Amino acid sequence: MSLREEVLTRVKALLKDRRVDGVLGLSLFEKEPVPCLFEDPFDVDALVIEPKWLLAKLAMNILKTAPQEYRLGLVCRGCDDRAVTELAKRNQLDRNRLTLLGIPCTAEQARKCLCSTPYPREIVAGERVEGMYPMNDEQAQLFLTGSMEERMKRWARELNRCIKCYGCRNVCPICVCIPCKLEDDLWVKRGHIPADMVSYHLIRAFHLSDTCVSCAGCTDTCPVNIPLMLLQVSMRETLKSQYAYEPGLDPERVSPVLTEQEKGEGTLFQEPAWIDSLRGGS
Amino acid sequence: MNLNFIKTICPYCGTGCGIILQVKGGRAVTTLADRSHPVSRGGLCIKGWTAHEFIHHPDRLTKPLLKKNGKFKELSWDEAIGLAADRLKETVKAHGPDAVASLSSARCTNEENYLFQKLIRAGLGTNNVDHCARLCHGPTAAAMAYALGSGAMTNSIADFSGAECILIIGSNAAETHPIIMGEIYKARDNGAVLVVVDPRRTEVANNADMHLQINSGTDIPLIDAMMKLILDASLENREFIASRTDGFTEMKEYLSQRTLEELSRECGIPLEDIRKVAELYARAREASIVFCMGITQHACGTSNVYAICNLALLCGHVGKPHSGICPLRGQNNVQGACDVGALPNVYPGYQAVADEKNHAKFAQAWGRDLSRKPGLTVTEIFAAAGTTVRTLYTMGENPLLSDPNQGHLMEMIPKLDFFIAQDLFMTETARYADLVLPAACYAEKTGTFTNTERRIQLLRKAVDPPGEAKDDFSILCLLLKAFGLKGDYADPSEVMDEIAALTPIMAGVHFDRLGTHGLQWPVPSDDHPGTRYLHKDTFTRGKGLFVVPKYTPPKEMPDENYPFVLNTGRMFSHYHTGTMTRRSPFLDREVDKPFVEIHPADAARLGIVEGGGVTVTTRRGSIETFARITTRVMEGSLFAPFHFSEAPANALTIEELDPDSKMPELKVCAARLEKG
Repeated sequence: MSLREEVLTRVKALLKDRRVDGVLGLSLFEKEPVPCLFEDPFDVDALVIEPKWLLAKLAMNILKTAPQEYRLGLVCRGCDDRAVTELAKRNQLDRNRLTLLGIPCTAEQARKCLCSTPYPREIVAGERVEGMYPMNDEQAQLFLTGSMEERMKRWARELNRCIKCYGCRNVCPICVCIPCKLEDDLWVKRGHIPADMVSYHLIRAFHLSDTCVSCAGCTDTCPVNIPLMLLQVSMRETLKSQYAYEPGLDPERVSPVLTEQEKGEGTLFQEPAWIDSLRGGS
Repeated sequence: MNLNFIKTICPYCGTGCGIILQVKGGRAVTTLADRSHPVSRGGLCIKGWTAHEFIHHPDRLTKPLLKKNGKFKELSWDEAIGLAADRLKETVKAHGPDAVASLSSARCTNEENYLFQKLIRAGLGTNNVDHCARLCHGPTAAAMAYALGSGAMTNSIADFSGAECILIIGSNAAETHPIIMGEIYKARDNGAVLVVVDPRRTEVANNADMHLQINSGTDIPLIDAMMKLILDASLENREFIASRTDGFTEMKEYLSQRTLEELSRECGIPLEDIRKVAELYARAREASIVFCMGITQHACGTSNVYAICNLALLCGHVGKPHSGICPLRGQNNVQGACDVGALPNVYPGYQAVADEKNHAKFAQAWGRDLSRKPGLTVTEIFAAAGTTVRTLYTMGENPLLSDPNQGHLMEMIPKLDFFIAQDLFMTETARYADLVLPAACYAEKTGTFTNTERRIQLLRKAVDPPGEAKDDFSILCLLLKAFGLKGDYADPSEVMDEIAALTPIMAGVHFDRLGTHGLQWPVPSDDHPGTRYLHKDTFTRGKGLFVVPKYTPPKEMPDENYPFVLNTGRMFSHYHTGTMTRRSPFLDREVDKPFVEIHPADAARLGIVEGGGVTVTTRRGSIETFARITTRVMEGSLFAPFHFSEAPANALTIEELDPDSKMPELKVCAARLEKG
């Protein structure tokens, strides 16, 4: 049985047995994929699992607007699984109302997203592939290593292209603050492009520093091809090396950014090397 | 839970991005980006991401309205259609068919535009049908059709990323066509050189390798100089010129009449910079020219486009992949509205009305005698309103904000005997109407839009229109019936089949072939896969034609009383007359006030501060707006977006017309700036 067929069988069973009221996944519409909330087992034959399509935020919104008793199934990959965990930690969704149907990504997908954990904690079918170490990526090397001047030049060139579409925020599965800091006049000037490098892009990046689940949604959606996800890589790596913490992997563990602060042990965590670029000096 | 995700097409610019409307309980609640769309591939601009926001706005028109004693009263659809038909028929009877004029819509579907022009041509017997393409790429269509045989963008959006050199002239694509800009940046990342020609230091210019900040309206001197330099350096494509073009001798003769120094002085660009750009463009293996309103909205707009075609022909940069002449169309379906005949001189598929064979073909197909006389253009319609034009019917157009010299329009429109406006909202224009018909927006209908790269794409209905509003297709079917024409189309796909049967470039276009990727015309037969780029091997007209451009400097240059050059256009978070975007909360939050861009030196001299109130005055009128102090404009220049009805930039613009295409010179006029 193919991966798709296995997932399809599971989805049908969940709906038939009324263990969930609906399953969020992808369906084929005129040969092309589109998100779909399956509620009738007879519709499930249209289900597909490719391409990778972030659904965690949609699932959160469905649960928020559905009646309290509504239970949802979600066909998800590693990044969606981690996003669900982070959203649940922040009381954005009730994990008890959500049944996950985990599937692994392919090696190629993992490479494209620089994903170190290209599979959910539990998978219903398929084979896990090894993730990759993001800093091994050529583009990551280019943007995150080298002298401050070089990096500054590279990032300025990229971020100057920003058309302020808010797409990076819109697709991000854990960008859920209300109100959003990026809509606050104090930080982001209205009516101008490009959006300011520090007050838009770095606020967004730092806001997600201990929650980014490395889904690559921001990079994928950016119409002007800014490699936005690379802004998170160093911070993710620091959390991992200093605290053995990865957002979304452990539902019980609170972010060290919060716990270490409470302990009052000075700076939050060891500064990554690139932080010099934020100080404006060398 | 009644939650659906409907794939459809963004209703704003001509890029034609794929959006997915999330529909809950009959309401569009969110817009998602379509990851599998061939053009946008999961990206959208700020307007696309908020395309659901205006759909259920309380201002939507929900009932037909008739003005009596200055006040609008509701009436039934039966009464409204009966009245519209009666008044149109009375006008024809009393004053002849040419006393009716009409504006079709670049915002409506191909099927609706086709039915609209059919109603006007076959039902009323006049060719007085035009639309706002006149005010955007009218010159492009005229010039490219004459020089190359087709007025459309020669290549595809995906083609940009493979070019070695991209020359952007008079387009601020980063704000007006952001998703296309992404493709152009891809080219630059792949090593292409990006050169921008624009009097403003736009976002595109900021991100280019070179920016030539030319004097407004001097594109022809610049391009002529480039051509001279290319010839001087023997960089022209001789083989291409010999085998695929006509008129080169005359072109050379014309170029020899001017000196490089003169041309350089006129456009304000040092000769060395022109030489650099000329050589970059000529030496590139594949090079594209992108242009927009900065080229067309001039009184020599058609000639500006000829100049661009000349340059491409000289270097052989057309008729191959990654290499072409790329006008970026402004509206979601301005390409399609032109394609299906919403123009006064051509039937669907650019078949001239003055041609006897075409006349016979359409007269037979529609079963009516048709007028052989090309009709009036937008600008001519308003000049004749109240005199030879007695009754006006507009569908999805807001000329009071989009057309030049607003004051003149406000005088002329009330002189009409009867004015029918069909729209989503009570627009500035609809307020002047006698009869207002409530129509449906993109999310409430099926049909097709054709994007700037000739891609015919399916729209899918996501929600119902509000109240008693009807989609334009249904309204037109009722009117067609009232005129004894076929009005019982089962759905828009049947209309497309009729278009296909009459339009060679779309002969193979049928709804069941479109899927979610659409088809790029020409699609000459049912098994044709569509066309990625035009003019391969041979031009549509046979050979590409060098056309000597007729340069006219802008009509109104600054003087003592009006010392500034005023330029008008769009900005990133609003769209055209703001009917939709200004009713979208997120876009309104981004920019909720009109503004005019002023150079810091001018501001300092006049004591104007950032955000302060200013008055901009021209010989036509005056607006009160707010200062935005920026080096985006040159000293002595101003830029005002035309989205804001409280400070309508088109109260200021001049209606000086391009003689070939009747395009007004919206990009240059002389203005005065005062504090407060």
